[in-house]
Amino acid sequence: MTRVFARWTAVLGLGFLVLAPSVARAQSDDPAALKLAEPDFTLIALPTSLRLPRFGSAFRVTHRFTRSLTEGSFGDVAQDLFGIDAGAVIGLEYRFGIIRNGQIGIHRTGNRTIEFFGQYDLMRQGARAPFEISALVTIDGTNNFRDSYSPAVGAIVSRTFHDTAALYVEPIWVNNTNALPRELVDHNDTFMIGVGARIRVRPTVYVVGEITPRAAGNRPGVNQGGFALEKRAGGHTFQVNFSNAFGTTMAQIARGGPRRLEGGDIKRDWYLGFNISRKFF
Amino acid sequence: MLKRMLWLAILVAAGATWSACDEKLSTLAGPTPNLAPTFSTIQRDIFESTDSAGRQACTLCHTSTGRNPSGGMNLNHDVAYEQIVNAAVRGKPGAIRVVPGDPDNSYLIQKLEGAASIAGRQMPINGPYLENGQILIIRRWIANGAPRN
Repeated sequence: MTRVFARWTAVLGLGFLVLAPSVARAQSDDPAALKLAEPDFTLIALPTSLRLPRFGSAFRVTHRFTRSLTEGSFGDVAQDLFGIDAGAVIGLEYRFGIIRNGQIGIHRTGNRTIEFFGQYDLMRQGARAPFEISALVTIDGTNNFRDSYSPAVGAIVSRTFHDTAALYVEPIWVNNTNALPRELVDHNDTFMIGVGARIRVRPTVYVVGEITPRAAGNRPGVNQGGFALEKRAGGHTFQVNFSNAFGTTMAQIARGGPRRLEGGDIKRDWYLGFNISRKFF
Repeated sequence: MLKRMLWLAILVAAGATWSACDEKLSTLAGPTPNLAPTFSTIQRDIFESTDSAGRQACTLCHTSTGRNPSGGMNLNHDVAYEQIVNAAVRGKPGAIRVVPGDPDNSYLIQKLEGAASIAGRQMPINGPYLENGQILIIRRWIANGAPRN
């Protein structure tokens, strides 16, 4: 069922990217120029194809509060200020434009996972190309990059629509997503297809959504997904998000969100979180 | 030329990284680092060997050499496979020692894990017991169909 969902998500996403009315238009070649439809380097957890100017940089902090919003009554949740009183998985990220159209970065989460990533813009959206394609390479390691390494390769296919919206389809393959050796498991890799969108609903306000169904391989837990409300203020972006998982690195996203059994039924948990990012260019 | 060399270096680095990424089976296997989900290594490292953690070899009791095998199960080298795979348990009617493909219902696993449903005591008797990683490896061999490999 999940596999079918993943395939349909990918097919519909790609189909929409290709067949959508040709409202795409050539964009400024200056990576430092503000792209109103794509103001940030990430959606909620998935990357966007926003370019970073050479020698420019950006910083991001992510918070995912670990108190489920769906556990207990509304009063219980309100007493914990919707999870804010609980602990959080915090991520710190810094990225740097190392070459024209290419960026590298580091992302560390509070559970001592460190991810290194690189992204290169292969094709720009314009008169001849209906969408933009970036190559993505990451590797993350647990225990401060000393244990359990999980490399990933993927592509970010995106299309912006005027200054109003951006759509993303991101096929990504992550290796070593299972904590056990490959001799003991059926699957040690995960192939997932991230699909997301950002829609500008006010001059500086956006609605963001993403889901990352796992199409093949190791698929524990539930597919990560979320939605968010975002405000752009100069070089800053402030985002309040709701997601069913805490993952912000590729291997964490591939491992999915927690699945709770209640009376034989699988319950999805939702968590409050936020992202704050700042551009330095 | 420089660009090609760069791509080649990236590919080599990616390949090296890829091959080094998997968790090590030997780490999980603890005191029996050469244990793998194969019958031959289980026979050698679990049934016939006392390991560095102090766990006694199963063949100290489950042998026909100089005694009657405990529980009627002989784990000597040439007969162990027939004695466990699809073999009925003497002390628990209906139970099968190893059900190929079904580790949860294999009595051998239940005895090693000390499940509540077993007759008698957890094995090895009086411990030290197998480590979780060692049991996981035996489970995988059974899940693979318990081949004679």
